[in-house]
Amino acid sequence: MSAATPLSTPNPVIRAGGLRHTYDGKKLALDGVSFSVEKGEVFGLLGRNGAGKSTLIKAMTTLIEPTEGRLEILGMDARRHGRRIRARIGVVQQGESFEFATVETGLDIYGRLWGMQAAERHRRAEELIEQFGLAEFRRKRAWDLSGGQKRRVQVAREFLHDMDILFLDEPTVGLDVVMRRSLLDLIRARVRAGLTVVFTTHNLEEADYLCDRIAVIDHGKILALDTVANLKRLYIGKQTIDLTVDAPDAPRFYAALRAAFGERGTITVEDNQAVLLVADPKAALAQIVDLAQRLSVQIEWLTVRPNTLEDVFLHSIDAGRDTAGRP
Amino acid sequence: MYLIFFGYGFASLIPSGSSTGSYLHFLTPGIMAFNAVMAGAVAGGILWADRRYGMLAQLLVQPFTRTEYLFGIMLTSLLLGLGGAALMLVIASLLIGVSTLTILGALAAFGAIALGSVFFGSLLLWIAALVKSNNAYNSIQILVLFFVDFASTVFYQNTSSLPYPIQILMWANPLTYIANTARGGYFGTLSTNDGIEMILLAAETVIVLVLATRAYLRSDVSME
Repeated sequence: MSAATPLSTPNPVIRAGGLRHTYDGKKLALDGVSFSVEKGEVFGLLGRNGAGKSTLIKAMTTLIEPTEGRLEILGMDARRHGRRIRARIGVVQQGESFEFATVETGLDIYGRLWGMQAAERHRRAEELIEQFGLAEFRRKRAWDLSGGQKRRVQVAREFLHDMDILFLDEPTVGLDVVMRRSLLDLIRARVRAGLTVVFTTHNLEEADYLCDRIAVIDHGKILALDTVANLKRLYIGKQTIDLTVDAPDAPRFYAALRAAFGERGTITVEDNQAVLLVADPKAALAQIVDLAQRLSVQIEWLTVRPNTLEDVFLHSIDAGRDTAGRP
Repeated sequence: MYLIFFGYGFASLIPSGSSTGSYLHFLTPGIMAFNAVMAGAVAGGILWADRRYGMLAQLLVQPFTRTEYLFGIMLTSLLLGLGGAALMLVIASLLIGVSTLTILGALAAFGAIALGSVFFGSLLLWIAALVKSNNAYNSIQILVLFFVDFASTVFYQNTSSLPYPIQILMWANPLTYIANTARGGYFGTLSTNDGIEMILLAAETVIVLVLATRAYLRSDVSME
């Protein structure tokens, strides 16, 4: 794992070094973030709400200037060449846009904003309407569409123009399973043609499916950064125990459990639920039951299962909390 | 609406025969000037809605600058102010006839309205860039517009019969300068005072435009 360390890649299109950002000089959103993204790579940003993902995306898309640090996009300084950078990137954000216009008018306005000629706009719009299955509601206004339909339109619109890097902020929210897979496959096809993608998601399955490398971010820091395979390999030989106890007993029980396990396992606690990563689940189960009996704590749920990318994510965040001295 | 309902409503209460003729004639240049405020409110509303609903962030990741977006809003404000004023003039000419307006008078009136549109556009943009909640924005906007509209010479003249604090407020209100100059242009009674008021308005416009631009450039692009 190379957490928060700039990777030396042969052809980086994004290079960030020691990025810090504060809002109003008070709220720290990025805290020394360093990484690079290679051409043709799908780079995933995973993190909880408020972890710093959106701020990082805003910095990379030149919407904000980082307070400190170095940021180069396509070899250009993000602070000095915002307009030139924006001419070569595409961004799919989460907010609403062009709600007042019909789907086809919205595509046309977007093409105009990008300075595309009328014939080219119409040709590309027709291709995208077909490709993204927008035909049945092409004459509806965006505010009359469902959440999933709006998302399809937003993603489709971004493919109107040429670009070197595509930033996707949770592009599959609201999409059904078929459309989600079709969108991810479409992105994969573009990546094979040389497009670089930076992708944020809460859906770890799709991160697993799409991303070459993943950065887990929390409290403005990168806690883990590696290929999906390498991140999972960190946890080979370990298994996950899911545990739920009576809510009133949870704080003292989990404190005792942390003390009992020490370095032999990592524990992530959320309310009265805990996820434990251990090498010897049989011994761990016996120890948990024994501790519960000694403390007279009622166990509501106890199960053992294989690791997932979600466990990598949760344990990275938990390890980061411990390092930062947070509860 | 203001021209028709205020005009006909108050015309029966206000005696004619002054230098400005009937109340409808008096009100016409006032309502033309009032369009500068309405245009400014639209400009502020555009920025506010674009920030609130995420449209600004989506626009500013495209290959143009923040300043160009600001310029677009100011141009919208200017065109709405001038277009609205021209429409008022057309409606007034159909209702009551406009015989006194000269080319020079029209230039002065529309020049004042153009400057006023930029002033109020900047003022409302400044508020839209600073405020972070919907309730606060709406409350401040209504308060500002209510004060600006009614503590001005749009609907009535600033005379010594008014309470002194109101006279002071009206005197300090930029909409008064715009309404006075528009009225001077409309009736062909432009004076040095109108020139001084336009210089004052220009200076205030520069100050507010600078403040609005700084606040806008420093503001976060979205409310998220």
